[in-house]
Amino acid sequence: MASLWSKISAILPPNEDQFPLQFSDKVESSVVEMLKWSRQQLYHDTVSTSHMLLAQIILDISWERLNTGTWRHVDKEWRRVYSYGCLFKVASLCRNSPTEDDILEAVRTCDMGLLMGAAIMDNILQRIVRILQNKIRKAAKEEAEDDHAKVKRIKPESRLFPVIKEELAVPRLKCPSLENFNRNYLLPLKPVILEGVIDHWPAFNKHFWSIEYLRSLAGCRTVPVEVGSRYTDEDWSQTLLTVNEFIDRYILNRDGVKTVGYLAQHQLFDQIPELKEDICFPDYCCLGDGDEDNITVNAWFGPGGTVSPLHHDPQQNFLAQVVGSKYIRLYSPEDTDKLYPHQSQLLHNTSQVEVENPDTERFPLFAEVPYLECVLHPGDVLFIPVRHWHYVRSLELSFSVSFWWS
Amino acid sequence: MRWFGFGFNAFGQICVQEEAESSSNAANEVKVISPTELSSHGDRSGCRGRICRIRASWSSRACLHLDEESCACLAGFATFISSEFRGCKDAFITESFLTLAFPDRVESWDLQKKEKTPSWTMEIKTQSESSDVNLPLVPGGYVALKPPIYHSLSPRLKAKSLALGAEHSILLTATGVVFTWGMGSHGQLGHGDLTSEEEPRAVEALWGMPMSSVASGGWHSVCISDGGDLYVWGWNERGQLGLPSRGLRKTAQQQQQNSSQQAGASCQEASTSSCEGLQEEQKHEEVFISIQAFPALLDVAPSCEIQTVSCGSRHTAAVTTVGDLYTWGWGDYGQLGHQTLASLDEPQRVEFFKTEQMRVVDVVCGTWNTFAAAVKEEVACT
Repeated sequence: MASLWSKISAILPPNEDQFPLQFSDKVESSVVEMLKWSRQQLYHDTVSTSHMLLAQIILDISWERLNTGTWRHVDKEWRRVYSYGCLFKVASLCRNSPTEDDILEAVRTCDMGLLMGAAIMDNILQRIVRILQNKIRKAAKEEAEDDHAKVKRIKPESRLFPVIKEELAVPRLKCPSLENFNRNYLLPLKPVILEGVIDHWPAFNKHFWSIEYLRSLAGCRTVPVEVGSRYTDEDWSQTLLTVNEFIDRYILNRDGVKTVGYLAQHQLFDQIPELKEDICFPDYCCLGDGDEDNITVNAWFGPGGTVSPLHHDPQQNFLAQVVGSKYIRLYSPEDTDKLYPHQSQLLHNTSQVEVENPDTERFPLFAEVPYLECVLHPGDVLFIPVRHWHYVRSLELSFSVSFWWS
Repeated sequence: MRWFGFGFNAFGQICVQEEAESSSNAANEVKVISPTELSSHGDRSGCRGRICRIRASWSSRACLHLDEESCACLAGFATFISSEFRGCKDAFITESFLTLAFPDRVESWDLQKKEKTPSWTMEIKTQSESSDVNLPLVPGGYVALKPPIYHSLSPRLKAKSLALGAEHSILLTATGVVFTWGMGSHGQLGHGDLTSEEEPRAVEALWGMPMSSVASGGWHSVCISDGGDLYVWGWNERGQLGLPSRGLRKTAQQQQQNSSQQAGASCQEASTSSCEGLQEEQKHEEVFISIQAFPALLDVAPSCEIQTVSCGSRHTAAVTTVGDLYTWGWGDYGQLGHQTLASLDEPQRVEFFKTEQMRVVDVVCGTWNTFAAAVKEEVACT
């Protein structure tokens, strides 16, 4: 049986000469020099402490560059340097009889490269993390408890579902034709819930998305988590956790933390390709003008009580509900001025009003604004037209998948 | 006066290994955690005499000898240009450029291009113009960290000194007023918000208090008042402001968790230790500061006056009028000089100089290291 290092070596270039280190002149010569020393060390039998040190230097200097200027303007070259730093660090961790902790640290390092870096060498970090995960899965023990059942036992009170008033309900259609959806909902930009259109997803059949399944597929992987009641709060923050840590702390509540944690707006399916195989792009996306590569797919996974404040997005959205239920309210873009958007550049697409507890003194016009509402159940897909205001609150443990398309 | 360096040394900018002179620099001791005296370059080049000033970047160091014949010597990565420059009065070194000030001109060498001649030159015509040179300030403007090299500055500002951060600038005028401009997202401009400024804007919170010097880290700003008080603002992610930093406590907890973690049972152990950490926070009700958008007065040490201050990317070093050196902030490379790799969010005295009975008289920080000048303490007769 091949060792971990031999499997990783097999996908690295065979020698130093074939290991590419090309950068634009945005990356200073001194940093390139450091990268070259690291590359040299990779192909020579040297003490790995020195190799780890050089990798850390590359990570530290590129991290400082990634934090310079706005994220949008960070030169892609520096994100590539960061990925090289991750690659050298992973090599250093896995070279000489890595312990289980070393392998977990290597997985975490690959994830940091995937989250903050840019693809290098044919997305080598993605290929390496696959090798590492296979190694971990072989060694993993079975989770004894039935985590899913435990969640239901923990929060019985959140099963109080809002009653949807008939005249305010978002219309529901079972498997409408493309023509029907296009003519009656997409073109006039009207919200609708599509039923029966994702029943064929493996997430409902072959690989039911239980907590055990998600742990087995992605437990050791690092993901960004939003901590705090809503992103407009002062004490809201983002942190990085493994999926295991997120489930333990914010879903199963194992350490008694009171705050809400939400694995929100994360391209989990790019990070974990095996999970992507359990979902499909809704056929109705073909009515747009882009191709599948331009569709952004995000995962939204969290306990009951997560709230996305009233806001709107610049693309069409299909929100597919896979696990659990969500209460959603929709307001028309025509009523924007009565929804009191924030003035700041950062939050101009977000309303200041707390939808389910509005301050009628500060926001007097809000109470009169018409809206549509629904409770989204597993198997439902909600069409949220572009720039349509929406407010979302999870009613129980929930996993949704959103498709942003144009 | 002797100069000592500590911190990042991967390019040999503090000290070189004897054997490593010709072979790969990877043999250099990367983290110099104990203050190490800088060796004179007298034996290798013609450059002699005591080192009067030091300027340092991430990968290099420039020493200025200003006694009879002024000259600048380089150490670290940038030595490929030349190891010395005769007649040079001042130097300013970044990862992209080496800028040198001579009596009649200022010239910049592009460290990317490795050419035989400077890529930018500016003539200094008159005596009054030469007094405008206090790098990175040059007549009419300043030289930047990266291309384009030259930026003009309004003469109305009466700029006396300028410090450049990773994404902001801090300027001190002849009348002791502090102006800042650039990115504000880390609070480094000191105007009380996170917005950026395209043009120099006076730091109103310091109005009425003349400042005598300014310094800049990667994302933080520091200045000293005429009375010797230290003001800090900007990012405190590693404790570089000397204010309580959540980032420091979290890393300390993480390191504790990692050492006791085992796969499989990891979740259980990790969650209990983090639970304890959270409870502790609630007990002490500590207020952590990650961004300080207004200048804050920092008490470096009880009843002391600050004489000099300098910043690396994420650490700060200050010299008091009685000759003590205090450092705080990021310490992963030994740049704080306390002979550990710990980061600190509180100023701590560098005991090395006390032990050696030396008075620190100057401090200059490179990106990840620190250089301090010290003289032997005169024994007081009481």
